[in-house]
Amino acid sequence: MKPMNFRRPQGQHKSTFRSPAGTALILPAAVLALSFSSPAAAQGNVSKAEADAKLRYCEVCHGVSAQGFHGYYPIPRLAGQPTEYLKNQLQAFVEHRRTSNIMFNVGHVLSPAMIDALTTDFNQLNPKPLGGAPKENIDEGKNIFENGVAAANVPACASCHGPQAKGNGPFPRLAGQLYDYLTAKLTNWDKERGQNPSSPDTSAVMQPIAHSLTQPQIKAVAAYLSYLE
Amino acid sequence: MRSLNSLQFNRTTRARFVWLVSQKLKSAGSHVGLAALILTFVLVGTVSAQHRISLSGDVQAKISYCKDCHGVSAQGFNGYYPIPRLAGQQPEYIENQLRAFIEHRRTNNIMFNVAHSLSPAMINALTAHFASLNPPPIGGAPRQLVATGRKIFEDGMPEVNIAACAACHGPEATGSGQIPRLAGQLYPYMIKTLGSWDKERGRNPTVPDAAAIMSPVAHSLNKSQIEAVAAFVSTLRSPRGTPNAVQ
Repeated sequence: MKPMNFRRPQGQHKSTFRSPAGTALILPAAVLALSFSSPAAAQGNVSKAEADAKLRYCEVCHGVSAQGFHGYYPIPRLAGQPTEYLKNQLQAFVEHRRTSNIMFNVGHVLSPAMIDALTTDFNQLNPKPLGGAPKENIDEGKNIFENGVAAANVPACASCHGPQAKGNGPFPRLAGQLYDYLTAKLTNWDKERGQNPSSPDTSAVMQPIAHSLTQPQIKAVAAYLSYLE
Repeated sequence: MRSLNSLQFNRTTRARFVWLVSQKLKSAGSHVGLAALILTFVLVGTVSAQHRISLSGDVQAKISYCKDCHGVSAQGFNGYYPIPRLAGQQPEYIENQLRAFIEHRRTNNIMFNVAHSLSPAMINALTAHFASLNPPPIGGAPRQLVATGRKIFEDGMPEVNIAACAACHGPEATGSGQIPRLAGQLYPYMIKTLGSWDKERGRNPTVPDAAAIMSPVAHSLNKSQIEAVAAFVSTLRSPRGTPNAVQ
């Protein structure tokens, strides 16, 4: 497996996140805080009104409780997602490690303080899953999730994503994630993630696993996870 | 009005064509000619009714009725009000809107009266028919706004919390399921609808609906941004692969 760099881009905010004019006052304080990992200090620098407005904006596409939404694309659930994973993905969009034109535009105007406020909010939400996936292969999906597919060298998903698929740190929560979103991600892993060769990232961990899963196995796991509360 | 004119035109054209052929054949004066004349009737009838083959008379009559206002190919029509394009529209969206008129979630007296007499089977037939049409857009929007509109549509304006329209309506504005197609929609209809969203949609507090999703977006767009997006989508032709309309 490729060596990885669990990115915590300390002190890079100035160059990677542009601040809109409206948040010019926030930025100096946020830069002083220097790190994503001091939410208390940073959050104090985004007004509740600004954070709420941005949250409403996110929820236009990600669903009113961030439970995910079927727009033209399946738009992922953010509710209950670990803050570290959300921050890493926003950074990935900005650095073109993860390709999405829409999310690049969304991500590159967010100040570190705003990112702290948003990710904290999303992490605390806990709506019911959207559901809607076919149910006939859920048992198979549960089995793959909990035990892996030894014959195909697929490890148990639970070993990183947790027994209840709640995720942890850089590992995303999968519980309640949209069925068609999970299917699309696992099917197109190499086309969407780890796209910047000069900046390898944690997506390399999933790469061989996504490859080893067959399409029916992907659908079974996705169906199982999409109903998990 | 337009659809009536068009029907009359078609009838006149067909009659003239048949008459010309019959004159020709008469002058030839043969039984073969008579047979050919009958065949001509059959053929002309078949061609003009090509897209109606599976449609019952009731459905056909209702489609004509819709097209009186929505345009002969459902491409939209500028009546007293801008009357929206239905051609290529997502069936689920049309069905949901018809129900919204009936349940007073969407306020429109004319469309309430239109909708509440439609049976579910009729709604299925109508929505499938409209989805299959694909006439070119009416056009007429100011061209100079299109570039700005495209930018807003594709990228949104993240600095002021305006989401990219493309995320839900699709990169070619074809819509998906409950989310409407915007490609080719009328410029004045888009402006009116975005400009008065909360006055027209989501009007029944006991039945909240998908209109709530657009409410903050419509609010955050200012007038010139609305005009730009409206101009952009009103010029969009259907993407490749969409079934061609029988006009």
